[in-house]
Amino acid sequence: MSSRREVIVASLFARDRASTFGPAVSTLVRGGDFLFVSGLAAVDPDSGERVRGTTASETRQILVNLKQLLEVAGSSLDKVVKVNVLLHSMLEAPNMNDVYARFFREPPPARTVCGARLPDDAKVIIECTALV
Amino acid sequence: MTAKLPRSAIEPKNPRLNVSRSANLPHVPGIRVGPYIFLSGMGPIDPETGERNHGPIAEQIRITLANMRHMLESAGSSLERVVRVHVVLADLADMPEMERVYREFFPIEPPARTAWSMQLRFGNGCEIECVALAT
Amino acid sequence: MRKVVAAPLPGLDLRQHYGHHQSPAIRAGGLIFCSGMLPIDPQTGERLHGTLTSEAHVIFANLKLLLESAGSSLDRLVQVHALIYDSIEYDVLNRVYRQYVASGPPARTVWTAQIEAGFKVELDVIAAA
Repeated sequence: MSSRREVIVASLFARDRASTFGPAVSTLVRGGDFLFVSGLAAVDPDSGERVRGTTASETRQILVNLKQLLEVAGSSLDKVVKVNVLLHSMLEAPNMNDVYARFFREPPPARTVCGARLPDDAKVIIECTALV
Repeated sequence: MTAKLPRSAIEPKNPRLNVSRSANLPHVPGIRVGPYIFLSGMGPIDPETGERNHGPIAEQIRITLANMRHMLESAGSSLERVVRVHVVLADLADMPEMERVYREFFPIEPPARTAWSMQLRFGNGCEIECVALAT
Repeated sequence: MRKVVAAPLPGLDLRQHYGHHQSPAIRAGGLIFCSGMLPIDPQTGERLHGTLTSEAHVIFANLKLLLESAGSSLDRLVQVHALIYDSIEYDVLNRVYRQYVASGPPARTVWTAQIEAGFKVELDVIAAA
């Protein structure tokens, strides 16, 4: 029996949903028991525009959006099992963590954080895997 | 408590794409576990010669994703069953070109993706890994 | 169902020691998703900086403890992201790594990344339960 694969949220950007020219990325995909969420940078969910700020403010915007996305998919932040956080600098890890701790209740998901070169001047990118 | 998921290694039908074996590295090209397939990161290896391709990034992305297709099909899966992709580029400036080629491989209902840049080995321009449903 | 895999020894509770808002591992859907494992003393949580080799040995010992406490093992690893601070140490990583995954290694991708606290290596793994 094949496992269910379904794109649940094509894009956070209203303009991309109607376009064939947006990036070839689905924001949230179901595969079997899990929901796979693409790496999210900080975007304004209404305008679909990138929001640039501090690592803390971008973390907050990302997690606000993530909460919304998961709820659309019938899941929630409480069902997240694993998070990968990419930072433009590991010096910002505590700032990210302070904001992050306010979104994930007990007990928090597993997480790995590392520093890398991020596209589009993002200070932070967060991807996760959650249970359906 | 769920029963333990069966776990097995997968191999490409084309042995030139089995870098784990040819380079005697401590990994396998992919693992099937229950309904999922986790592939090791793949680079731009020419499927005819087994050599690394260091041409323009578009060519490297095309070769890497074609090899990924081969790997998944060798295991009875397909690009259409991919749920998550990680694309690592040596150079952030290659994002637009990567995007242009990538969309050829995932034209309909593409998987989730995270793309970023890191230092890559062997002069490779890209390294791509994915998670897919086995069936 | 999503279940926390608690730290089998106090040092592996990074939340308590470092305020990292994460559980050591989460079991779900027949898999165990582990937080990035670092070279820390499993009893005290003390950072054990060293060579890439010494750090990798500590990490694998910690992973073995964690996975076995959850009824799994290093033999059940399915995917590893091996974070190293510089790709020049790739061969060094392999030399240590292969000692722990000799029979039936998992899939792996090596990421050259900035790792916390200046560690040289970190392993981000998923295992079958």
